[in-house]
Amino acid sequence: MPESQDLLKRLPTDLGGLTAEPVQRTEHEIEPWEKRCHALADVLDFHKIINTEEKRRGVEALGAEIISKASYYERWIAAFANILFQKGLLTPGDLARKMEEVSARHGDGRT
Amino acid sequence: MSMATGPRAADGERPVFKPDDAVRISVRFPVGHYRVPAYVRGRHGTVEAVIEPRGIDNEEEAFGRNAGSKRHYYRIAIPLAELWSDYAGSPKDGLRIEVYETWLEGR
Amino acid sequence: MQPHGHEHPDIPEPEDKPPGYYEIMEIAVRELLIEKKLIGPDEIRRQIEVLDSRTPALGARVVARAWIDPAFRVRLLRNGRAACEELGISFYDDTQLIVLENTAAVHNLVVCTLCSCYPRPVLGLPPDWYKLKPYRARAVREPRAVLAEFGTFISDDVEVRVSDSTAMVRYLVLPQRPPGTEGMSEQQLADLVTRDAMIGVTTVRH
Repeated sequence: MPESQDLLKRLPTDLGGLTAEPVQRTEHEIEPWEKRCHALADVLDFHKIINTEEKRRGVEALGAEIISKASYYERWIAAFANILFQKGLLTPGDLARKMEEVSARHGDGRT
Repeated sequence: MSMATGPRAADGERPVFKPDDAVRISVRFPVGHYRVPAYVRGRHGTVEAVIEPRGIDNEEEAFGRNAGSKRHYYRIAIPLAELWSDYAGSPKDGLRIEVYETWLEGR
Repeated sequence: MQPHGHEHPDIPEPEDKPPGYYEIMEIAVRELLIEKKLIGPDEIRRQIEVLDSRTPALGARVVARAWIDPAFRVRLLRNGRAACEELGISFYDDTQLIVLENTAAVHNLVVCTLCSCYPRPVLGLPPDWYKLKPYRARAVREPRAVLAEFGTFISDDVEVRVSDSTAMVRYLVLPQRPPGTEGMSEQQLADLVTRDAMIGVTTVRH
């Protein structure tokens, strides 16, 4: 078990030099929502609502466990939400209500 | 009045290091956000190039200071054998990495 | 609270399966930002069009031009971004570009160990393996073993030079022009150039 300070001394996204498996050259076709998420990142950076460096910090702040389990764009959208809350541009309540609305629109009765 | 020294540059305007300078990458462990991977900290290298134009300090930018202070990045050359004592490739093999001025120490 | 159903940009959402948690979050964040007028209703769609227009074919054009036009090659190696802009390739992400020339003495390889920095304006979005741990962890530790996994074997008398792309600069590898291509047109040459060769994990073959 690493000591807690060792977890803080290395960014959770910092992989250089770690032991890892052979490279699997699999590629998946980017899903529509992933492409929208990428475009959102660019637009947020153009307006400096969330710049690229803030996005990286936001991903790192999710912590090593989520970083290792969530996919690339899953990490991005969670980071965007947190940063928008930190900046006072959205609230968790805003997001929860809108997510319920989106779910209902897509025929998911669970809220 | 003498102007013998010419126009003075502001702090951070001119690069502190120049190509071929020997440098060491600082060993620091801040929390928050920075762009220096663990594997190069404390390693010795050489300035290959000064990257122009200057860039905003990404440690400020990461916290929303979009007009943060500017300094130079440098393209630093480090032999892979300096990074990994058991490096298995050719001794010529090397790394190139951009490092911000605040993380470099002269030797 | 705002009513929904108005001014949603014309962005296709999949109809066949209900969106998952993260997709719902993406839709919700985007719609909230538009409702609050932080971003315009058409900006995401416009940026998707920009992303769709960026593919490795652009980088291949740059490489082919450098192979046939020595003066362009010099400008490209001196200032990658400015030379690409000559060919009409804009840098929408405001990054700089260093072009790394492979020669008989040096083989370049590009990685981003901290995230996924990539020359998107000239190559489009990176492949999955470029963003995943095995490549990011090992390219700086055992580049020759990684290259071998791509079928690329570099002689010991050739220097392997790994560029870890961590900040404001992006890298494009200018591969060696393969022998036997002397009579080929610029377009024929561009057709030989692959994305992976411009990352440096493979070479260009004819």
